[in-house]
Amino acid sequence: MPPPNDLSVIGRRQPRLDGAEKCSGRSVFADDVDLPGMLCGKILRSPHAHARILKIDTSKAEALPGVKAVITAAHAKGMMGGRRGAEPVFADDLVTYKGREIAAIAALDERTAEKALQLIEVEYEELPPVLIMRHALQAGAPLVQADKPGNIWSDNIDSYGEPEQAFDTADLVFEEKFSTSVTHNLFAEFHVAVVDFTLPNKLTLWTPTQTGLLMQHALGPAFGLSVSQVQIIHLNTGGAFSGRGGVRPHHYIAALLSRKTQRPVKIFAAGDEEFLVCRALGENDYRMRIAVNKDGTIKAVDMDAHMDGGAFPSEVGYFGWMAGLCNSWVFPLQGNRLRRRVVMTNTRPHFLPHGGMMLTSNAAIMQLCTKIARSLGRDPIDFLRQNAIEAGHHGLSGEVFASCGLKECLDIVRRESGWDQKYGKLPDYHGIGVGIGAMASGAKGAFKHDTSAALVKIGEDGIVTLYTGIPDMGQGTHTTMAMITAEVLGIRADQVRVVAGDTDLTPIDVGAFAQRGTVQTGNAVKNAALDARGQLARNAAAQLGADEDQLVFRGGKIYAAGNPDKCLDFARVVYGTLHSGEGRFTMGRGFYNSPLKIKTTSWSFGAQVAEVRIDPETGVVSVLRVTVAHDVGRVINPLACEGQIDGQVFSAMSQLLYEEVLSDEGMYLNPSRLEYKMPRTYEMPEISHHFVETVDPYGPFGAKEIGEGIVVTTGGAIAAAVFDALGGQYIHKVPMSPWRILRAVRARERSAVA
Amino acid sequence: MLLPDHQYVTTNSLKECLRLLAESREKAMVVGGGTDVIFNMRLKLFQPDVAVSIRKLDELQQVEELTNGGLRIGAGARLADLAEHPAINDRYPAFAESVRAVASTHIRNMATLGGNICLHTRCAYTNNSEEWRKGLNSCFKTEGKICHVIQTSSRCLAINNADTPLALIILGAVLTLQSAGGSREVPIAEFYTNDGMDNTVLRPDELLTHITIPPVSDRTAFLKLAPRQGMDFATVAVAARCDGTGEKVSKVSIVVGSISTNPIILHEPSRIVSEQGLGDEAISAAVDSIRDELGPLTNLFSRASYKRQMANVLVRRVLVALRES
Ligand SMILES: Cc1cc2nc3c(=O)[nH]c(=O)nc-3n(C[C@H](O)[C@H](O)[C@H](O)COP(=O)(O)OP(=O)(O)OC[C@H]3O[C@@H](n4cnc5c(N)ncnc54)[C@H](O)[C@@H]3O)c2cc1C
Repeated sequence: MPPPNDLSVIGRRQPRLDGAEKCSGRSVFADDVDLPGMLCGKILRSPHAHARILKIDTSKAEALPGVKAVITAAHAKGMMGGRRGAEPVFADDLVTYKGREIAAIAALDERTAEKALQLIEVEYEELPPVLIMRHALQAGAPLVQADKPGNIWSDNIDSYGEPEQAFDTADLVFEEKFSTSVTHNLFAEFHVAVVDFTLPNKLTLWTPTQTGLLMQHALGPAFGLSVSQVQIIHLNTGGAFSGRGGVRPHHYIAALLSRKTQRPVKIFAAGDEEFLVCRALGENDYRMRIAVNKDGTIKAVDMDAHMDGGAFPSEVGYFGWMAGLCNSWVFPLQGNRLRRRVVMTNTRPHFLPHGGMMLTSNAAIMQLCTKIARSLGRDPIDFLRQNAIEAGHHGLSGEVFASCGLKECLDIVRRESGWDQKYGKLPDYHGIGVGIGAMASGAKGAFKHDTSAALVKIGEDGIVTLYTGIPDMGQGTHTTMAMITAEVLGIRADQVRVVAGDTDLTPIDVGAFAQRGTVQTGNAVKNAALDARGQLARNAAAQLGADEDQLVFRGGKIYAAGNPDKCLDFARVVYGTLHSGEGRFTMGRGFYNSPLKIKTTSWSFGAQVAEVRIDPETGVVSVLRVTVAHDVGRVINPLACEGQIDGQVFSAMSQLLYEEVLSDEGMYLNPSRLEYKMPRTYEMPEISHHFVETVDPYGPFGAKEIGEGIVVTTGGAIAAAVFDALGGQYIHKVPMSPWRILRAVRARERSAVA
Repeated sequence: MLLPDHQYVTTNSLKECLRLLAESREKAMVVGGGTDVIFNMRLKLFQPDVAVSIRKLDELQQVEELTNGGLRIGAGARLADLAEHPAINDRYPAFAESVRAVASTHIRNMATLGGNICLHTRCAYTNNSEEWRKGLNSCFKTEGKICHVIQTSSRCLAINNADTPLALIILGAVLTLQSAGGSREVPIAEFYTNDGMDNTVLRPDELLTHITIPPVSDRTAFLKLAPRQGMDFATVAVAARCDGTGEKVSKVSIVVGSISTNPIILHEPSRIVSEQGLGDEAISAAVDSIRDELGPLTNLFSRASYKRQMANVLVRRVLVALRES
């Protein structure tokens, strides 16, 4: 049953407030920033995967007219980058991956910088590299880091509930191995940093990012500045997909160059350099085991993963943990065991793709679930529904799922996809599959707090300005925040202007990751708007002769509940509040911090059915249709939610079927948009969007995330559909490229003959 | 990635253009639509002293009807215009199909037919930036003496990835190559060499000016398989032609592209179907005989074994398409 809707802005189809600006090319991105006297920075990168630097001679480059500075590790002593401060900004004496930063130049223009780069002379002693995770694990393999024996960066086992007992007592155990390939997030806006560090106590950085705050936290200490002395301007961020979670060497380098030259410096990744700068998925090998009883009860899941973290693994292990943990967000397990060994190789440091490791792990789990359902003679949707958690469920690692519409989602996709007419009845090489998934809306843990704050200022004309630090990287969060503000104040969303993306102007916000935006920042914005409303309510209540808490703000009017005819104009109340004896200027403040110690309050849940057709001669998989039902708590903006679905279905299809960085001896062979095969609009399936509104008790107006819950679920659904199209055959490797599919087709043909 | 230092000259007459090419020879590079040549200059794969644009040469942009029913197409004609040209679609549907198969609408709006025919070979080991290539030893393309694709090869194995030449070969098109010194006609089937470095017989002082397609009443077909629909080079592409109707034929020609340094004209498979007709069995026999003619498959951008299988699939499909047309 839909929730009673007494809302006037939320739930309406609101076009992006910055849509016209974006479409007409007026939005400013970091690369558009052009400061007086700005220099062009370029980075010299190692052509070797593993080498000792014997000598660097920069004298010829320095002598080139137009070159203003040349720096190397000697200029960045002790400066550590990376998410956990594990990665020196420049290679000092040892190079551990191709593309590693060796030196950098600031010159008057790009041409001079390019020329100067060619003039730096570096003498290397090449060392044997380990380029593939399998090789890194072999006895006697060269070590990436001398103090990491066996190239193991970390090895963690987490056990929740009683996994051993569950596996021992279960009727059946299913086990399968899966693996993933190296990827790139391939956002529209390549990596770029513009830094002005010409005053000793002020560093300003323009860059696309998912978090201004974490960048302040990293850059401040590195340059002897406090957090507020570092200003991050992330005007617009051209896509992120989990790939812009933190500071990278080029940010530090731009700052070093700016400080040294006393001029602003811009560094941008050119073409194939982008593939070395980015931090996305590395190779992962999973062994998945599922324990079930004959009655269809899933008892436990056990994931054993090897994850290639590259030369500086940072937090790969944490994301592996999420990839195992999330199984207990959809199934009421008796036990969940997850082991992650993070392995080092002489390759680009890896991080995570859109959907984290959850997309590929879910692709594995949903193939397995389809297999189990088939083995038990069960319909896969029935089987998942039997095992789906419900609201009120307590998870094994302490989660409490306050709202959950997973079963309703399954019912919707069964009906809307025509599942009952199709499953088991489609012709050969035509498949249908179901996937389920869940996603945390915010995951407290990076700091003691997970705070977002917001300010609302109301001009005397009634126009509202909202100040928020949440980055908009295409997901449309700024429009969402304007809608929340407008709902509280009873005005239209387009009467709210959003000021964002500048840490000097906006209050704290941890950032746009871990799907925290709508819930954490949304609550902060709601609180700020409520604060402002309270100030106006005092004035309005007096004029209306009503109680403050009886007032309704709606449609630009303020009135007492039940008496809309006797109303005040919102803008006039604002005007009157200022033009009064008190002279009050209305400004609301608010912040929100999750009431939990760690983790999350709210999860989104979803089910999807995908239909695919395989060409058994070419191995090409066409995704025909994806039916999506998602419990987002409350739909704030249907347009944005549908857009999130379309984008994530695309991304999941792309990652699952297409994306792979190919390499030979550590050289990336396809570092371009042309050769890194992402599908295009032609490949888009038909999508139908359905929402379940469970009105979460924590989210603003009951809303939960819609940032990655979809992509993870689509991954499962498409994988299950491919499995079905192949007559119940696993595809063990992502991406499921045509040649891999073809191998499975051949295997199937052979077994049919035998 | 900036363009290397060079002079960009827009020539205003064919004569001026040919004179400039005669003077500059190896130091010049013709720019048609520039969709390939400019990008390769950014990668510093091409570093011409003079880039000679032919965009203003009106005489190279015409499509002329010949009295014999054929067409004479200027090398500077844009692919976007050719894709929609009524006479081309009417008389040479397989060629029209191959034109539409090139890249994307945006690129076809710029690209010329001459540029597609003269397109340089491509290689996963070289078609990246100069900085990127520093991680590799020099190969034939970069003044070295090895080929990264097959280390023991004595020549460059980069692939010819162009689409329209396949259709033009089966149509028996003839290329007009002009230089300041004169003009010669070369059948497109004889235009390509098997050296990835120097993959056509075009001399540095020559310009491809026209493409003449004779009248053809045979059945023709063109098929392309690429990882994505649109904006993608072929994994494999094929074009084929036959006379007769239904399964009955006496002369079939088949050409396969994007798997080698040059388009490969398949002799044995063509002979088999020419003699036995386009029945399923004959087609299977023809497909089975492809392997020997493909030569070493250059493992580029996609796996060699996959390419090989796809060549078989596409040849089968193109023969079936002929039968059914
Ligand atoms: C993203 C992308 C996708 C692509 N996809 C495809 C594809 O699917 N299929 C395909 O075939 N190509 C593809 N291409 C390559 C290229 O765009 C086309 O081949 C196009 O037709 C080239 O024509 P052009 O006029 O732009 O050639 P240019 O770039 O101008 O020239 C190409 C070469 O031909 C020479 N040349 C040009 N005109 C003449 C002439 N009249 N006489 C002598 N020499 C000449 C030039 O010197 C140069 O060596 C793609 C390119 C890009 C960037």
